Amino acid sequence: MIDMVGAKTILGVSNTGRFGRFVWQTIIASVQSFTSTKMYPLIWNQMNIIGVRSVPIIMITGAFVGMILAVQAYDQLASMGLEERLGVLINVSVVKELGPVLAAVMLAGRIGGALTAELGTMNVTEQIDAVRSMGTDPIRYLVVPRVLACLFLTPALIIYADLLGVLGGYFVGVVQFGINSWAYWSFSASGVELWDVVVGVIKGFFFGAAIAAISCYKGFNCKKGAEGVGRACTEAFVASFISILALDYALAVIFKSIYHAFWPVKSLV
Amino acid sequence: MVEQKNNTDEASNSNQDSIIVIENLTKKFDNNVVLDEICLKIEKGMTTVVIGPSGCGKTVLIKHFIVLLRPSSGEVYFKKQRIDNLNEIELNNIRTHFGFLFQGGALFDSLNVAENIKFPIRQHFKIKNWSRIDKLVKSRLAMVGLEGFQNFYPANLSGGQRKRVALARAIALNPEVILYDEPTTGLDPIRADVINELILKLKRELKVTSVVVTHDMTSAYKIADRIIMLHNGKIIADGDANQIRNHPHPVVQQFIHGQVDEDDLAVLRASGTIFQTQFLPRDFEE
Repeated sequence: MIDMVGAKTILGVSNTGRFGRFVWQTIIASVQSFTSTKMYPLIWNQMNIIGVRSVPIIMITGAFVGMILAVQAYDQLASMGLEERLGVLINVSVVKELGPVLAAVMLAGRIGGALTAELGTMNVTEQIDAVRSMGTDPIRYLVVPRVLACLFLTPALIIYADLLGVLGGYFVGVVQFGINSWAYWSFSASGVELWDVVVGVIKGFFFGAAIAAISCYKGFNCKKGAEGVGRACTEAFVASFISILALDYALAVIFKSIYHAFWPVKSLV
Repeated sequence: MVEQKNNTDEASNSNQDSIIVIENLTKKFDNNVVLDEICLKIEKGMTTVVIGPSGCGKTVLIKHFIVLLRPSSGEVYFKKQRIDNLNEIELNNIRTHFGFLFQGGALFDSLNVAENIKFPIRQHFKIKNWSRIDKLVKSRLAMVGLEGFQNFYPANLSGGQRKRVALARAIALNPEVILYDEPTTGLDPIRADVINELILKLKRELKVTSVVVTHDMTSAYKIADRIIMLHNGKIIADGDANQIRNHPHPVVQQFIHGQVDEDDLAVLRASGTIFQTQFLPRDFEE
């Protein structure tokens, strides 16, 4: 029993160390990549695969988040005669929490799985060794373009999810339940601050980096065979999902502290 | 005294001609010792073939030549420079002197044949004249007998064609050493012989040093200047084709003649007749 706990602990610590080293190498290689024009086409290509092709699914996700929130919240607010404040509830939830988190979860499934499967297959078929054997750093060639594409485009995708979430909530609230349109928008405008939108978008940078780093790491370290690749994909999604939630909690605490620290200054301004 | 001097000269000449030197190389995976205190010198311009049963560590050995694997202990030298202790950035420069033909080809699925061959060139040079690179790709494909295949993707090629494209990619940077990992495995005898002829042609025309890992003895006899055999992590035979054919070690003789040993036969006998171990559907019915 003690042996087993000890072995698991050692394994956990060494895996964390390996992941930390992988992330550090990725950061160094990413910084170096900005000075190399050779890297731009690779990053551009990954931005197309990771970002542009994810737009439809992210927009659908965002729209349904807004619509479902409206359907669920309307009855409770209406029972208190506060249905015109539906917009505040939906829009704050969408731009601050649900939009970023659900968009990131959707990306972890769509992009994370694909990254792990692609790099895992390259690992199993010795393509990563082939990159190394030709004197090229596989982290720079394979990981950096994917991480940078995810890092820069996840916030952009979150803006799409927010936009469609807001429109979805408006559609259900105003068109379906007949709330006054002017009241809906005016309460929303008074309740949602620029700060809320910025917080949601900033979370996107962290979520994007976490999804790409975890997925690439799992792909690079997957075991041989179809089962190894499959298991790596599952592990990548689970780890990405948990990281998104953990990061969301940590960032919520941090941003709340920052907000409260600057709140008195803001009211003075 | 004179004899001693001659021996010293011979040794120093041999060191001078050695392009890769392996000293006391041991490689362990967990507690499993795959290579055990291997000492080996690869001579410049020669074709050295490494033979041995599956899983004996042949691929592990040649991966150490370009430090795709790091030794558990021991040293690896390339042109008298110790390379096993270099970091990955320093190694990238060393690796451009090598071409590596992987067992399955390891072509990049997302790139077509021409892009695969251009890959190492794009990574190491600032290309201004693309038409020159296209010509180089064409010439490399012509060398491996695949002219006109530039726009094919690896998925549309046969196993033999894939290996030939991988070979064209391996020689793209005019390497001094080419490492072949089971180049003829999985190919029919005619395709296998095409690969053998290619290896000989590359040696003849590019004057490269080759190290070939194989368990195909027809191929080994045809291409080898020197054959070494690995068994249980150690080199048990080293010599030219004739010396290996007449080697006294029973494991060498068993391997080159492809004979099953008595232990394996005993296991087969002990497992009983196939009739006794077969089941019919009715055996599972109640």
